[in-house]
Amino acid sequence: MATPLVSIRDLRVSFHGLPALRGIDLDVAPGEAVGLVGESGCGKSVTWLAALGLLPPTATVTGSVRLGSQELLAAPPAVLDHIRGGRIAMIFQDPASALNPVKRVGVQVAEALRLHRGMQGATAAAEVLRLFDQVGIPDAKRRVHIYPHEMSGGQNQRVMIAMALAGQPELLVADEPTTALDATIQAQILDLLRRLQQETGMALVLISHDLGVVAEMCRRVCVMYAGRIVEEAPSDELFAHPRHPYTCGLLAALPDMVGPKRRLEAIPGGVPEPWNMPPGCAFAPRCRHSTAACDAAMPGFVPVGPEHAAACIHVQSAALVAA
Amino acid sequence: MSLLSLDGVSRVYSTRRGLFGRPMPVRAVDHISFSVAPGRTLGIVGESGCGKSTTGRVALGIERPSDGGVLFNGVPMPPPGTPAWRKMRARLQLVNQDPLGAMDRRLTVAAQVEEPLEIHGIGDRSERRDRVAALLRDVGLRADLAQRHPHELSGGQRQRAVLARALATDPALLVADEPVSALDVSIQAQVINMLTDLQEARGIAMLFISHDLKVVRQVSHEVAVMYLGRIVEQGDPEAIFADPLHPYSRALVSAIPVPGPRRIERVVLTGDPPNPADRPSGCAFHPRCPVAVAACAATVPDLREAADGRLVACHLVDAA
Amino acid sequence: MLRFVATRLGRALLTITLVVTFAFIVLRLSGDPALIIMSPDAPPEALVAFRQAWGLDEPIWLQYFKYFTAILQGELGQSFRDGRPAIELVAERIPATLTLTLPALALKVGLGIPAGIYAALHRNSMTDRVVMTFAVAGFTVPSFVLGLLLVLVFAVQLGWLPSGGQDVWRNVILPVIAMGLGGAGVLARFTRSAMLEVLGQPYIRTASAKGVPWGLVVRGHALPNAAIPTVTVVGFMVGSLMAGAVVVESVFSWPGVGRLMVVAVANRDLAVVQCVLLLVSATMVTSNLIVDLLYGVLDPRLRGSAPAGGGH
Repeated sequence: MATPLVSIRDLRVSFHGLPALRGIDLDVAPGEAVGLVGESGCGKSVTWLAALGLLPPTATVTGSVRLGSQELLAAPPAVLDHIRGGRIAMIFQDPASALNPVKRVGVQVAEALRLHRGMQGATAAAEVLRLFDQVGIPDAKRRVHIYPHEMSGGQNQRVMIAMALAGQPELLVADEPTTALDATIQAQILDLLRRLQQETGMALVLISHDLGVVAEMCRRVCVMYAGRIVEEAPSDELFAHPRHPYTCGLLAALPDMVGPKRRLEAIPGGVPEPWNMPPGCAFAPRCRHSTAACDAAMPGFVPVGPEHAAACIHVQSAALVAA
Repeated sequence: MSLLSLDGVSRVYSTRRGLFGRPMPVRAVDHISFSVAPGRTLGIVGESGCGKSTTGRVALGIERPSDGGVLFNGVPMPPPGTPAWRKMRARLQLVNQDPLGAMDRRLTVAAQVEEPLEIHGIGDRSERRDRVAALLRDVGLRADLAQRHPHELSGGQRQRAVLARALATDPALLVADEPVSALDVSIQAQVINMLTDLQEARGIAMLFISHDLKVVRQVSHEVAVMYLGRIVEQGDPEAIFADPLHPYSRALVSAIPVPGPRRIERVVLTGDPPNPADRPSGCAFHPRCPVAVAACAATVPDLREAADGRLVACHLVDAA
Repeated sequence: MLRFVATRLGRALLTITLVVTFAFIVLRLSGDPALIIMSPDAPPEALVAFRQAWGLDEPIWLQYFKYFTAILQGELGQSFRDGRPAIELVAERIPATLTLTLPALALKVGLGIPAGIYAALHRNSMTDRVVMTFAVAGFTVPSFVLGLLLVLVFAVQLGWLPSGGQDVWRNVILPVIAMGLGGAGVLARFTRSAMLEVLGQPYIRTASAKGVPWGLVVRGHALPNAAIPTVTVVGFMVGSLMAGAVVVESVFSWPGVGRLMVVAVANRDLAVVQCVLLLVSATMVTSNLIVDLLYGVLDPRLRGSAPAGGGH
């Protein structure tokens, strides 16, 4: 990989002593699209909230997050304010509540322009209109003056995206950007994100519980489970040849859109609670390949192909290679 | 012989726009008909505001249709609140998206499952206790969870508990409104499998309402696609999801992100779904439809049988 | 907007009418003014004459009707006691009451709101706990207990400040503190929870995520939103500018509207009581009206415009 834009090393987060992230290593190259998938509570959002210093003070964060040569975790607030929105922008799941209900949407976008590009007055207003056009908000001249509750969910997410683009970031972190939206609107927003990424050359981190969304949007995917990355691969490779038993389980649990109908293969049990983490591999209690060795230590990453690695000690065993 | 049938059902609400706007009628459900046979599942798909949940409530008898009729077991639905209605309601149960909201936070799981048995006077104390234990076993809840309160359960366990309660009165029809939407994929699969197993074992008919086409395909014997209160396409799920005929179904199916190559080229619709209170003329979908012609704005297309037997409401699809 | 204001005004007038009617009923049912003013041993002819003079011998509905039409004409009647126009009696007491309640309101707002904001921003810190302990103490101790306590300590024990009278500005200090501290406590608690609620909202995280410095997040995104619920409480306090001092005025023998009211009720001095009630309810209703209008200004969601598109 070229010099990474963002480099996360051994990132750990705990809330009141309970672990939420248990050592994340992740690089994001300039301009690339990386997907983070996993079920609720796996830490996919926490990773980026921690990286940007957006977690509440009750969180304990250790490790390292570097943007170029700048370490973010110990950075003073002024430096972080410059980076947030200016170099790394973030959009969230529920656009309706992510926008301030008492401020006009145009004003909220203009705020980012003022902070990161020093634009004021007419210049800022013109740029807001341009951004609204760029994200495909029709009738932009009128829409800049209305409030979030006067727009649909899809339009609000477009406003969020316009706001994120305002600072001309090098990386956009999209945290479940379409989960709260209807299917046809989701397709519109994903289309928009893909187009914007091409136009601007920014990198994209897409956080989602939906394997399909990530597969379509990202070249590379990381699968997370219980606060760790368990498998990392190019997305075509991951969906064609998953290697970690958890990834295999997730794909088997998902109903298909095509092909013969089959009984879903559910993963038994549930995600371990933070206060009850298994000593070794966190997936071992639900895994049909697990052995006593799985509980001995946290499994390290085993390379299984070009750019493909899985955190499982059995990943080379015959049963899993066949799967 | 169908268990539940809706015939030309409409549901009209009156809403105000703004604080002092004039009340105006909103057709949440507009002239829909379908029937569900025992042991079969009808999946209803569509986006928010399409009327799918209202349809579910009308089917349950919680809401009266403004127009049209609902037959359960061949008998018209009695008016809500009457003894006949209460008796019938025991045979119709609802499972929705939010199990925590559907449960009483102060009662244990066992007490909640027992409640409908008490209300309908089924069995004596010890019989009820046995029945609760059996129900919990059927939905795959460990016996030690019976004495827990809802907030002490995981999302999947809560949904199982709600299901056990719904099954307590041995319903003939289950209306499942987004029952797995709030669950993670691995848990979702557990609940879906359990639903299909229970249906097979008990011969329950199901109305399965969801925005998730993959899940609907998995559970349904028949599927209805709704747009703005009307059914636009109805028939065999395999046929509809493999080759949707209505332009809206086509867009909806193509919008589903899937790993790997897709079978249908993506159709990205422009604009938002319109407001039910401000319904476009003619075919409600025409302003967003990529293939609309002049006739689409003028007349509402009827739901007609197409070549392979499915029903489609589109001027551009040839009738059989 | 015009219709909004018109409906609100209509409702306000209805409220005032009900208050006035209620007071009329209660006062007239609870005792004969003639007996109270003239004393029960007064000769029967004198009582009859008194009743005739004041129209008390007419049927009750007629009295009410006359009374009500008089109010509508701006005629608020005369005091039974000294025959002076009730409105004059009440009006001359207003400055004295405001001398207490306005500084008390300033104390509530000036102390309570900043304390609440500070506590919310330093949640669970030592300062937060200290501020909240004082706030709870402030509003659980009734103002007359606090008043008596203040008098005991500062007037009787230390002799720094006078315990009554209204000649010197120093006389104002103790009653104002007695009234203001409780309200400040209420406002501090309320502001704190309103701020915490807002600070937990996703749009605050959005503001931080787009690089707004924290101070600006608080001023630009949190305070305006937290102001919406806080306005209700402040509005209530403004509304009780006239009525809020009844107890404290009695404790500090302060010749304000509150004391006038207490005396008038004891005497069944209907015209005066009505006049005070009219004043009190008009203040309350006006401030409620202002709060409602302020809501519309502060929160665009309450302006009642139709959604522009989509709309679920």
